[in-house]
Amino acid sequence: MKLKKLLILSIIGFISFSSCKKDDPVTPVIPNEEELITTLNYTLTNAFDSTDVVTLTFVDLDGDGGNEPTITGGSLNANKTYNGTMELLDETDPADVEDITEEVLEEDEDHQFFFSAASITVNYSDVDTNNNPVGLQTSLDAGDAGLDTLKITLIHEPTKPNNGTVADAGGEVDIEVSFPINVVQ
Amino acid sequence: MLYNNLKLFLFVCLFIVFNLQAQNCNNYIKGRVFDKGTSLPLSFVNILIQESLKGTTSDKDGFFILDNLCQGEIHLIISHIGCDPKKILIDLKKDTLLRIPMSHTLLGAIVVEGEQSSNNYFQSISSLSRTTIENNSNKTLGELIQNESGVNLMKNGSGISKPIVHGLYGNRVKIINNDIIQSGQYWGNGHAPEIDPLSADKITIIKGVSAIEYGAGNLGSVVLLEQQKIEKEPHLHGQTNYTYESNGRGNNVNLRLEKYSKYFAWRINGTLKKYGDKKSSTYFLNNTGYQEANFSLTLQKSWKEKLFMDIYTSTFNTRLGILRGSQVGNITALNIALNAEIPDKTDSLFRYDIDAPKQEINHHLAKLKLKYFFNENNSITFLLSGQLNHRKEFDVRRAGRSDIPSLDLLQHTYNSEFKYTHSFKNLWKFKIGNQNIITNNTNDPNTGILPLIPDYNNWKNGLFSTLSGKINKANFKIGFRYDTELQKVAEISNDLPRRIIRYENNFHNISGLSSVKFNLTSKQSLAINSGYSERNPGINELYSFGLHQGVSGLEEGTLSLKKEKALKNTLEYIWYPSSNFSINTLIYHQSFNGFINLIPKQKENIDGVLVNEIRTTLRGAFPVFMYQQTNANIYGFDISSQFSIRNSFFGLIKYSFLSGQDVKNKIPLIYMPSNSIFGSLKYQINKSNILNKGKFENTEIEINNRFIFEQKNILIGQDFVSPPPSYNLFGLKFSTNLILPNYKIRFFTEFNNLFNVKYRDYLNRQRYFANDLGLSVIIGLNFKF
Repeated sequence: MKLKKLLILSIIGFISFSSCKKDDPVTPVIPNEEELITTLNYTLTNAFDSTDVVTLTFVDLDGDGGNEPTITGGSLNANKTYNGTMELLDETDPADVEDITEEVLEEDEDHQFFFSAASITVNYSDVDTNNNPVGLQTSLDAGDAGLDTLKITLIHEPTKPNNGTVADAGGEVDIEVSFPINVVQ
Repeated sequence: MLYNNLKLFLFVCLFIVFNLQAQNCNNYIKGRVFDKGTSLPLSFVNILIQESLKGTTSDKDGFFILDNLCQGEIHLIISHIGCDPKKILIDLKKDTLLRIPMSHTLLGAIVVEGEQSSNNYFQSISSLSRTTIENNSNKTLGELIQNESGVNLMKNGSGISKPIVHGLYGNRVKIINNDIIQSGQYWGNGHAPEIDPLSADKITIIKGVSAIEYGAGNLGSVVLLEQQKIEKEPHLHGQTNYTYESNGRGNNVNLRLEKYSKYFAWRINGTLKKYGDKKSSTYFLNNTGYQEANFSLTLQKSWKEKLFMDIYTSTFNTRLGILRGSQVGNITALNIALNAEIPDKTDSLFRYDIDAPKQEINHHLAKLKLKYFFNENNSITFLLSGQLNHRKEFDVRRAGRSDIPSLDLLQHTYNSEFKYTHSFKNLWKFKIGNQNIITNNTNDPNTGILPLIPDYNNWKNGLFSTLSGKINKANFKIGFRYDTELQKVAEISNDLPRRIIRYENNFHNISGLSSVKFNLTSKQSLAINSGYSERNPGINELYSFGLHQGVSGLEEGTLSLKKEKALKNTLEYIWYPSSNFSINTLIYHQSFNGFINLIPKQKENIDGVLVNEIRTTLRGAFPVFMYQQTNANIYGFDISSQFSIRNSFFGLIKYSFLSGQDVKNKIPLIYMPSNSIFGSLKYQINKSNILNKGKFENTEIEINNRFIFEQKNILIGQDFVSPPPSYNLFGLKFSTNLILPNYKIRFFTEFNNLFNVKYRDYLNRQRYFANDLGLSVIIGLNFKF
């Protein structure tokens, strides 16, 4: 008798709990992804011919997911020297583009760009507060004609000074992009 | 359960017979000590009167006598090698007869009868006693139970570990903390259960088939933490523990006090821990310190032995550093880290400071439990609880943002439970119950990063029933459970423009079990268990998206996941020819339909061949991991044996074998525990040494050895690197008790990784970056009154 009552009671309990009001989650606030870097522009200007300007760009507006990034390489003139300027942007919101280059500049002793390629060579033209290279301003030597790949890496908290390679620098990778380059005669 | 236990304690343990003749200092206590599981008499048991330090030892038939005793209250301390010491208060007015059952702590499976976990009588269990918990006050819950057979640890460095039982962890293994299903973030390997093991008196691992009563979703195993009922002792009792650990220069302090009064009984427990950088065999593991501050309060009251009330509140707060060199970034950086001899950012300075990457976690719990006995055979239990879990994870970030968490999750969980138990005259037992859990999980948008786990609300309602009884020589138990789960999710889109996408899922799960245990003879038993259970995909498995801290991989949920269905069968054979020898074998097999696991996502390359997907981002290339469903089999066996020689030597050997296969793709399952052997040999000095007014008792020395085999059941390419080679760790322990009229002091010292062996463990996520812990010396002091 009592058993039956309790059986009924527990089933009622189950039904009443399972039928209580079930609200949708409150609409979440979309975080302001101010730290995200969506765009890298590496502008190369021929040191002796200011009309010879090549811009290498990497754009991935939606971050890690969604669509694949767009990578634009370029062609350089063989054995010419170019002045390189690095620009980092957050273009998630086209109406409010943020310049991340400034953040890197403010923390220049905690950052360094690394460049590697087959025949292209890149030299640093800038230094941080401790007189170590940063890589926001560079000088690029195009080398001999041929197809090449230029890999640009930005390391956060590298070991400074280092021997100029990513392996020696340690730290954490903020950026690592590769551009196809055609060096023409 | 606790209250049944008290009754048992009163009626069975202290079977007191009064004798009429009584004189002031001319009384005696006669008694017999026996093994609770086997009912065999126990010899060489030490019985000591704490007040007078007068003691004796039981003879070969378990008998002892203490005579010429004065009237009044005395505390008896009963201790035996391999058993948890027992303290009994006796108000001596007349000559007294006692029957004292002792539990062999290491032989969990044998001692379950009538114990706290009596409803698990049929399932294979192993348990840890209070003494073990106290002696390991420097350890986390996971580290405490990792020596149990069939149990392994998923670690992320030295401070973070979660238990794996028979190859399963996380969503699939429930942790029950004081009757409450521990809420928290089940996802990810970098999250440890937010529990202070020192608040528990007993930890039990149920390696069964389907623990029907402990909520939906557990596909077999349960870790149970229980508190003892506060004993009806009018004196204030308590203890304080201090442990120093050389590796990490860690300090651990614990204080516990309890008292019974006719108004209410109370117990408080507080723990503080502080560790700095741990050290591998040769170098420091920078930024691996941690700090912890925990507190709990228990209040108990009963009305006329009919209504029992139990209130429990606890708070757990921790800050944990994660090896700096393990936050590397993309696959190129990972490859550099994998080949590095010493992790990046390693220096020779020891620090207590904790910087990013780190975690900050707060967990608070409050519980009310009411149990009412209609009569001896019928009782109802009502349980209500609330939990709050706040998890913050910090990464190394640009422009001073390392102080802003990368992940900031707040979770509220409310449980309610109603259970009715009816015992029939023929000792059959019927239980019916209902459990409800409401979860609300929100992300703080101030992280500036898209959340890895979306905001959600979750409702779980379950109904279960079990029937157990005995027919001839066979004990049986059958059970059934039905659950519904409703998930309401609000996710932020991964593509642009960012918008809110809402999902709603409804699941119905059933589970059932049947168990039978034959007591073949008085010295051997055979148990067969079969359990079927269903688990719906969790929020993380469906919706997670983003870069996981320290794993160098993008993690993606899969919307199309279906329920996971598992059938587990176990066979356990126990043979205990005498109280000096026993052997326990457990064989298990679990087959999964729709096993959900996180594996590298594949896509077709230009030649139409399936390859692991590598996604290009501005930060470089990352491997993509995705939750996928497959069919799988996990099987293995745990075998353990223990023996004692002349009551001075006590030996224990355990071997665990496990194999996991993805049967659909015909490949091994990744992150399955390696096989292992554990052995220990303990020597106890039976002679007590008198020192001044004190007496040294139960002086023990133990040497132990843990051998972990290399995980060979894995293919090249399933993981970033091949599993580390096998390793062999030795440990040494020494402990002694100094018993004084009003208190007891226990000294213990322990050497872990005695030979400072350099090794990496397959199930430690940090193995990609650094060696595991080197030598550690632990010195502890326990003061009890």
